[in-house]
Amino acid sequence: MKTFFRLKEFIRENKIYYILGILALIGTNSLQLIIPQLLGRFADSIAERQVDQGGIFIFIIVLLGLSLLIAFFRFLWRIYVMGNARRMEYTLRNMLFRHLQSLSTEFFNRHKTGDLMAHATNDIQAVRMALGPGIVLSIDSLFLTTVIIIMMITTIDWQLTLIALLPLPFMVAIVTRFGKIIHTRFKKVQEAFSDLTDRTQENFSGIRVVKGFAQENEEKEKFRQVNQENVDANMHLVRVWGLFMPLVQFISALSFIIVLGYGGILVINGTISLGNFVTFNSYLGMLTWPMMAIGWVFNMIQRGKASMDRLNTLFENKPAVTDQPDAISLESIKGKIEFRNLSFTYPGTDEPVLKNVTFKIPPGQTVGILGRTGSGKTTLMNLLLRLYNPPRGTVFIDDTDIHQIPLETLRENIGYVPQDNFLFSTTIKENVDFASTGRSLKEVEDYTKMAQVYDNIIDFPKKYETLVGERGVTLSGGQKQRISLARALIKDPSILILDDSLSAVDTQTEEAILHNLKEVMADKTSLIIAHRISTLKNADYIIVIEEGEVTQQGNHDELLKEDGLYRELYQKQLLEDKIDSVG
Amino acid sequence: MQYFHEEEQLGKAYDARLMKRLLAYAKPYWGLVLLSIFLLLLITGTELARPLLVQRAIDNHINAYDVPYVALPPHEAPEEAIEFNGNFLYREDWFEEAPPAGERFQVIRAEGKYFLIPGVIDRDTPREVDEINGIFSIITPEENYSGYLLEGEELSQFRSRDISSVINLGLIFLLIISLGFVLNYAQVYMLQYTGQKIVFDIRQELFDHMETLPLSFFDGNPVGRLVTRVTNDTQTLHEMYTAVLVNLFRDIFMLIGIVIVMVSLNWRLALISFAVLPLIFFVTAIFRLKARDAYRQVRVKLARINAFFSENISGMRIVQIFKQEDRKFKEFDNINTDHFKASMRELKVFAIFRPSMEVLYAMGVALILWFGGGSVLQGVLEFGVLYAFINYMEQFFRPINDLTEKYNILQSAMASAERIFMIRDRDPVIKDPAEPKKLATARGKIDFKNVWFAYQEEDWVLRDISFSIEPGETVALVGATGAGKSSIINLLSRFYDIQKGKILLDGNDIRDYSTHDLRKNIGLVLQDVFIFSGTVRDNIRLNNKEISDKRIEEVSRLVNAHTFIEKLPNKYDEEVMERGSTFSSGQRQLLAFARALAFDPAVLVLDEATANIDTETEILIQDALPRLMAGRTNIVVAHRLSTIQSADKIIVMHKGKIREMGNHQELLQEKGLYYNLYLLQYKEDFGEEIRKASS
Repeated sequence: MKTFFRLKEFIRENKIYYILGILALIGTNSLQLIIPQLLGRFADSIAERQVDQGGIFIFIIVLLGLSLLIAFFRFLWRIYVMGNARRMEYTLRNMLFRHLQSLSTEFFNRHKTGDLMAHATNDIQAVRMALGPGIVLSIDSLFLTTVIIIMMITTIDWQLTLIALLPLPFMVAIVTRFGKIIHTRFKKVQEAFSDLTDRTQENFSGIRVVKGFAQENEEKEKFRQVNQENVDANMHLVRVWGLFMPLVQFISALSFIIVLGYGGILVINGTISLGNFVTFNSYLGMLTWPMMAIGWVFNMIQRGKASMDRLNTLFENKPAVTDQPDAISLESIKGKIEFRNLSFTYPGTDEPVLKNVTFKIPPGQTVGILGRTGSGKTTLMNLLLRLYNPPRGTVFIDDTDIHQIPLETLRENIGYVPQDNFLFSTTIKENVDFASTGRSLKEVEDYTKMAQVYDNIIDFPKKYETLVGERGVTLSGGQKQRISLARALIKDPSILILDDSLSAVDTQTEEAILHNLKEVMADKTSLIIAHRISTLKNADYIIVIEEGEVTQQGNHDELLKEDGLYRELYQKQLLEDKIDSVG
Repeated sequence: MQYFHEEEQLGKAYDARLMKRLLAYAKPYWGLVLLSIFLLLLITGTELARPLLVQRAIDNHINAYDVPYVALPPHEAPEEAIEFNGNFLYREDWFEEAPPAGERFQVIRAEGKYFLIPGVIDRDTPREVDEINGIFSIITPEENYSGYLLEGEELSQFRSRDISSVINLGLIFLLIISLGFVLNYAQVYMLQYTGQKIVFDIRQELFDHMETLPLSFFDGNPVGRLVTRVTNDTQTLHEMYTAVLVNLFRDIFMLIGIVIVMVSLNWRLALISFAVLPLIFFVTAIFRLKARDAYRQVRVKLARINAFFSENISGMRIVQIFKQEDRKFKEFDNINTDHFKASMRELKVFAIFRPSMEVLYAMGVALILWFGGGSVLQGVLEFGVLYAFINYMEQFFRPINDLTEKYNILQSAMASAERIFMIRDRDPVIKDPAEPKKLATARGKIDFKNVWFAYQEEDWVLRDISFSIEPGETVALVGATGAGKSSIINLLSRFYDIQKGKILLDGNDIRDYSTHDLRKNIGLVLQDVFIFSGTVRDNIRLNNKEISDKRIEEVSRLVNAHTFIEKLPNKYDEEVMERGSTFSSGQRQLLAFARALAFDPAVLVLDEATANIDTETEILIQDALPRLMAGRTNIVVAHRLSTIQSADKIIVMHKGKIREMGNHQELLQEKGLYYNLYLLQYKEDFGEEIRKASS
C-alpha cells in the first residue's frame, strides 16, 4: 500500500466518506442476507400451512421494507465510495497538473505529450478504479463470501455447504488465471491497435510522398496487413475472453446441480426443510458474483497499483529550475545583460551547445544575433530566461547572477517572442493579454497595431473575441507570430527578446513592425535573433554565432566588410528578397 | 495525439439512415449473423430451463411425498412397489394410466415427522400427533388415523424413486448447461469474428477511399483527426455490432421466453406479475433521459480536460515564461471541478436507478407472494411454480439493467458513423479517365499551355503560365516565396487539377493518363523530406520490391549517401527513429535523392533545400546533384546560384506569372529582373564577368 502514500492526505481528509461508505455497504450486504431467510421461512410456512393470507401480508411488508432499506443503503455506498473515488480522481488530476507546471523545459523535451496524456487519462482512471470499485468489490467479496458461507453452515447444513461449494475454488482459480491471460492478450490487442494508428498516421503525414511515388496500392496493402493483424490480435483475445463468462456460468451451475441433487435428497430425507432448500439456493446465487469478483478485483487493484507506480515516477521528477536560497529581491530590472565565458551542455548529452560565449549588452541597446539553426541562439535565450540552469557565474542581469534573481522577477521583466509562436485556444484578446496585466481593449488594440496584426483581427467577425485554434479561426503562421509579438510587448518589459519571431512575416510587414518597434525598443534592452539579415541589420550591435561560438561581432556595415557567415548569408538572401522588391 | 482536442459530439442515439448504411456492411456476413442469432435462441432456451427444472424437482418429487398410495394385491404389483406390512403400495402418480381403485395410504408430515396413514387427508388439513406407548395416532378435525412413524431406511424406501428422479433431473440439467456452455462460447466467438470482419471491411474501405482523396483534403484536416476516423471511430462501431445489435436479440428472446414460460405455467399469476411492467417502463424512460444527458455532459467535460491538459503541456514553456502557472492552474481546476460535478451527477442518476430497479423487483416478488402464496394455501397452485416465478422475475430484470450501457454505445456509434460516412462520401476530385492512355516510360517532354490555377475559388496562384521543356532539359524555377514555384511542381504530379489551360506530358494531357502511371514517371524530392518508419533501406525502396539491395547501395553511392549510412550501427538495416529526426536535414535530403534515383523517373522534380544544411553535407549535395539529374528532364525550384546558372532554362516567376525565361546568358543580356538580381548579388566579386557577358 506504500504505492498510494501520495494519496494519504486525501484519504485522511475524506476518511469519513470511506467509513460511511463501507458501513453502508455492510448494511446493504447484511440486509440482503435476510432476504433468502425470509423466502425460506415463507416456503416452510406455506408448506406447513402455518400461515394465512394475513401472514403472507406481513411477509410482503417485511420484504418491501427490507428492499427499500437495501435500496437506500445501496444508494449511500455508491455515492460515498464511488463519489469519493471520483473526488480522488479530481484531486490526483489537479496534483498532476500542478506538478507538471513546476517542471522545467528539459522534462518536457524528454517526455512526449502523448505519454503524459496517457498518464493523465488512463493511469488516473486505473487508480480511480482500484480505489473505488476495487475497494468496494474486495470488501464486498470478502464480507459476503464469509457471511454467506457461515449462514449456510449454521442455518442449513454444513455437509451440503461443503459439497455445494466444491466447484467455487476452481472458479476463483480460473478467474485469476484467466484474468492474467486476458490481460496479456489485451496488451497485444492494444499494441496491434497502436500499430494500426501509427501506420495510418504515417501514411497521412507522408501522403505527399505516397502520392508522389504512386504508392497508394502498396500502402493499401500495408494497411490491410496491420488491419488484419488487429483482427487477429482481437480474435486471439476473444478465444480466451469469450470462454470466460460461459465458463463462470458453467461452474456456478455445477454448484447449483449439486444443491438440486444432494439438497433435494436431503429435503426428501427430511434432513432439511423445503424452506432451507430455497434459502440455500438463494445464497448460492448470491455467492456466484463475489466469487467472480475476487479474481477480477485482484487484477483491478494490481493495475491500479501499476498505474500509481507510473504516476509516482512522474511525481518524483523534481523541478530543475527553482528559486535559490541566496536569491535577492530586485526592485526592478534595468536591462544590462552579460554573458561571461558561458559554456553549456544540455543535461543528458555530451556535445556542448555553447562554448565560451562572452559579450555584454548595455541597458537600452538593441542587439541582433545571427546564426544557422542549431548554432545555439535559442539555447542562449533559454538560459537567459532560466528555462535551463546555466553554470553559476556565467549569466548576469544588472550585474547580478541570474541564479540569484527570483524566477518571478526575472520572467516578469522579460518579454519573449518565441520561435514556435504557440497560442492558446482561447480568444485573441486573452492571448494578447496572456500575462493578465488586466489591460483594456483599447490598449490591447494599440499593441496589436504595433505588431501590425490589428487589421487582420478586425477582419474576423468576432474581432478580439475570436477563438483561436480548432474551435475558432485558423491563423496563418505570420498572424500567430504577430499576436505573440503583441503578447510580449503588452508586458512592457525591460528586456525584449525576438527569437526568430518574424520568420513567417513578409518583408514589407516586417519592415513596418521594426519601424513601430524602434520607439518601444528605445528604452528597452532588445535581443533580436534572426536568420534573415533584413531583420537585424539596423541593430546597434550584431553577434554571429556558429556552432556555439561567437565568431563575428560588430554593426551591419562592419560585418559586411568582413569575410564570414554574415556576408555570405546577406548575399544569398538578397536574391529572394530582391525579386520581391524589384518586381 | 490530436484527438484529445476533439469535443465529444453526441447526436441522436438512433438514426435510421445511418443504421441502414451500417447494416449494409453486415450483409456479406448475413449467414454468420443469422446463425449467431439462432444460437442465441437455443442459449435462451438453456437459460430458461433452470427455474423450470427446480419447479419440477420441487413439485413432482421433493414435495410430492403426500401423493396417495394405492395398495395392490401382490400379483398385480409392479416390481418397484413398496412392500409395507404385507401391502404393496404404489403411488398414484407412478401409474401410466389412471390409478385403479383400492385402499389408499398416504405419507403425511406432522410436527416435523413423516407418518404413513391408512386414508387420505388434504395438505391444508390441520393435524395433531398423539403418542401412547410408541403407538401414534394422527388427529384431524374430521377423523383420527393410526399413524406409522417413518424414519431412516423405511422413509428412504418410500422416497427412493423421488431421489433417483431428482438425480435424473440433475443429470439432465448438467447436459443442458454443458450444451449451453458450448453454444455460448460458439456464439460469442462467431459474433466477435463477424464484428471484427465487418470493422475490418469498413476500415479498409475507408482507408482505401482516403488514399484517393486529393491533397487539398489532407491540407484541410489535422492528421490526428483523420487517424481517429480510421481507428477509434471504427472501433466504436465494432462495439455497436457486437454488444448492441445482436445482443438485442438475446434480450428480446429472453424477455419473450420468460413471458411464455410464465404464462404457460400459470397465466393468472403471470398477468399479475406483469403489473410491474408499466412501472419499469416509466422508470427506465425517465432514467434514459437523465442518463443520456449526464453521460453526454461527462464526455464533453472530459474532452475539455484532455484538450486543456494537452494544450498546456505543449505550451508549458510559454506559461512558465509568462509566469502564468497559477492562473492556468485555476482554469484547470475550474474545468476539472466541472467534470467532477458532472460525473457526480451521472453517479447519482445511476445510484438512483439501480436500487430503484431492485425495489421494483421486490414489488414484483411481493405481488407473486401475495397472490401466488394465497393460491398455494388454497391448493390451486404448487409451491414450485411460485418459486419458479420468483426466479423468472429476477431473470426478467437483467436485460433491463444492461439497457443503459447499450444505449450509450449506440449513441457514440451513431456519432462515429456520421463522421466516417462524411469522409466516405467525399469526392476524390482527381479521377483517372475511364480509359487511360498507356504510359510506360515517358520521354519527358513537358508543356504548360496557358495554365490558370487557384487553390480556392478565383484566388489565382498561377496566371496564364506557358512553357515547354524538351526531354533531358533542366529548368530552374526562380522567384520569391508565394510566386507559384511550388504550385507548378504540385500541378505536374497532378496533386491538384487546374482550372484553365493544359498540362502535357509527351504531348498528351496529363489528365488522360492514370495518376499512377503519371506519378511513376515523376520523381519528387521535396525540401521537407518525409522519412517513414522502418529501415533506411525501406525508406529508399519504399514499397517497390523490384529495387534490389544491390541497386539501393548503388544509388546511395551515386548520391553520396552511402558514407553516412555505412557509419550507422546497422548500416542499411538501421531502424529509423522518430521519423528520421536523428538524421540531419542534409542527410535526409541525401536519402530523398537516393529514393528518387532508385525509382529512376523520366522527370525529376526537385525543391532545393538550403536551410539548415551543414557545410560538409552541402558539398556532398552539390556533388551529387549532376549525377542525380543526368539523363532525365529536371524541374528544380532553385535557390543555389550554381544550379540556376547551369540550367538549360531559367523561369523567373513573380506573383503567379512568368516574368522572364531563358538561359543564364540570355537573361543577363535581357537586362531585366534576373540581370538586376545577379548584378546586385555579385557586383563586388563578379562585376567584371557580368560586364563581359552582357556586352
